[in-house]
Amino acid sequence: MQWTVILKKELTENWRNFKWLWVPIVFILISIMDLISTYYMPIIIESAGGLPEGTVIDIPMPSPSEAMLMSFSQLNMIGVLILTVMSMGTISGEIKSGVYELILAKPVKYTNYVTGKFFSYWLLMMVSLLLGLLASWYYTNLLFGELALSQMFVAALFYACWLTLVIAIVILYNTWFKSPGLIAFLSIITVIILTVMTNIFGHVLGWSPAKITEYISIYLHTGDLDIEIWFSAIVTLLLSLACILFAIVSLRNRAID
Amino acid sequence: MEGLKIIQENLAILAPLFVLQLILMVIALIDLAKNEVPRGPKWVWALVIIFVNIIGPIVYFIAGKRR
Amino acid sequence: MELVSVNDLTKTYSKHAVVDHVSFDLQPGKCVALLGPNGAGKTTTLRMLAGFIQPTSGSISFNEDTLSKDFRKFVGYLPQYPSFYPWMSGEEFLHYAGQLAGLTKKEASDRSNELLQLVHLTESGKKRIGKYSGGMKQRLGIAQALIHEPKLIMLDEPVSSLDPIGRREVLNLIRELKKDATVLFSTHILNDAEEVSEEILLMNDGKLIEQGPISEIRGMQQTVTIRLAFEKEPKFIHEKLKEIDSVYQVTEENGTFDVSVHDLNAARDTIFSRVQEEGWELSLFEITSGTLEDIFMKAVNK
Repeated sequence: MQWTVILKKELTENWRNFKWLWVPIVFILISIMDLISTYYMPIIIESAGGLPEGTVIDIPMPSPSEAMLMSFSQLNMIGVLILTVMSMGTISGEIKSGVYELILAKPVKYTNYVTGKFFSYWLLMMVSLLLGLLASWYYTNLLFGELALSQMFVAALFYACWLTLVIAIVILYNTWFKSPGLIAFLSIITVIILTVMTNIFGHVLGWSPAKITEYISIYLHTGDLDIEIWFSAIVTLLLSLACILFAIVSLRNRAID
Repeated sequence: MEGLKIIQENLAILAPLFVLQLILMVIALIDLAKNEVPRGPKWVWALVIIFVNIIGPIVYFIAGKRR
Repeated sequence: MELVSVNDLTKTYSKHAVVDHVSFDLQPGKCVALLGPNGAGKTTTLRMLAGFIQPTSGSISFNEDTLSKDFRKFVGYLPQYPSFYPWMSGEEFLHYAGQLAGLTKKEASDRSNELLQLVHLTESGKKRIGKYSGGMKQRLGIAQALIHEPKLIMLDEPVSSLDPIGRREVLNLIRELKKDATVLFSTHILNDAEEVSEEILLMNDGKLIEQGPISEIRGMQQTVTIRLAFEKEPKFIHEKLKEIDSVYQVTEENGTFDVSVHDLNAARDTIFSRVQEEGWELSLFEITSGTLEDIFMKAVNK
């Protein structure tokens, strides 16, 4: 099947350029760094010295759910940034280099081409996210107290919806612009605008994709899944689908120069 | 000396962190060695990868090659 | 029965017709050169035939398949500057291209080996494409165009960027190809067209201005050029040459005169009698029969 051929090529490419190694490692590192440095904060401050004799250092340790949320907030910044730059040239780069012309001269379906690429980056994102959150969950339990593994998985799946949209946006911009840098920049701007708008108009944008992180924090604290998180997740997945469909149409109508 | 003792005591917690950073660094260096189209001098990249924790290898992977 | 019929093909970019009402047929088993200066619309024409640019108007029909609109499976295409995945080996790329074109794994790998042999890349097949030279990439490009045994092979300026040896190799390869398929290749170099093709399509400024078998086009426009040079250039020689009957154009370059004539015999006699009468010290007298170059220049300058 053509789709699997394209997917396999993408997986091979990202294996050979080490993306399948460095992206998961970086996701794990950013997920656990904050936990570890928070845990050691008292010792770090103490050994830095300069404090008057007898000062009592009292930094409250975060609760398990607060600890995991630190990982989510790191992923929300650095994770999104990395997802964007790792996929910024997946189509635009091929158009720019000219290899796209060879591929398109074969009876390749635009749908296969776009969705094959999307899925390969989605897989890489999922693996990296799950590994990162698993590591975070492990350290949370080790350092701050118990949190159910199932709770972590549920939170991870909802969060994956948000990152799915991020990748879909990058893929869409890939079919519009030629410069990978511009694509990464616009994707991040789009995510920022979405987040800021949601913060300002949060009361009417309860279903906004950017609300997912907020709902995850509620879920980790209370253990209850509100109906809103389902709405947000469904809207996010529908928006991702729309981006992908739009990307296919854009690519089909794109003139090559 | 005291710092060393703390690290020894907490090896189980800290070891994965160090190992992952090391792997990241090694992968970046391997890639750099094989890189035929480096953006900028290789030795600068090597220094960045080795001495800038985590960020160094990431920046190299993102920006180290001319496309 | 023609393989492809092109009818009134037009492509407009922001109101400018890059390809302007072009019609032609391609017969099976022929090698056709698409000739024209840079910017004539050759690449756009080929891209429309390759099926990944939609024409603004007009039609392209393959007799093989009138039902499906996607005729890319009948076409092998090599762009002017082929680019590959530098991290793949030549063999892997052929394999990938073959599977994209619908071959099974087994078919793709058999065919890859066959083609690597045809384009003399067997030894470099396992090497990364990033390490290939320009000529090797060009040959790999031809191989990938052939992977799915297309009925029509289109090559965009396949030899213009190559050194003389590479050029010779590719021209020989084209001769091989036309045994099994129709070959359409674009070029702005006339010698290449003359050397391997039976027919030419001459394009300029988006329009098809001449088409037919090479022999026919030659016969159609008999022009002869006499090339002259002198030991000592006589006065007013340019004007004097122009006055001769049947001479319609005189051009000079570094003391060598190219005199285009309609009637060779008359012109030659006149020139020789002038040599005697006026004592021209002739150092070169050469007759170049109507090359495609003349036809090309005449047609393009029209």
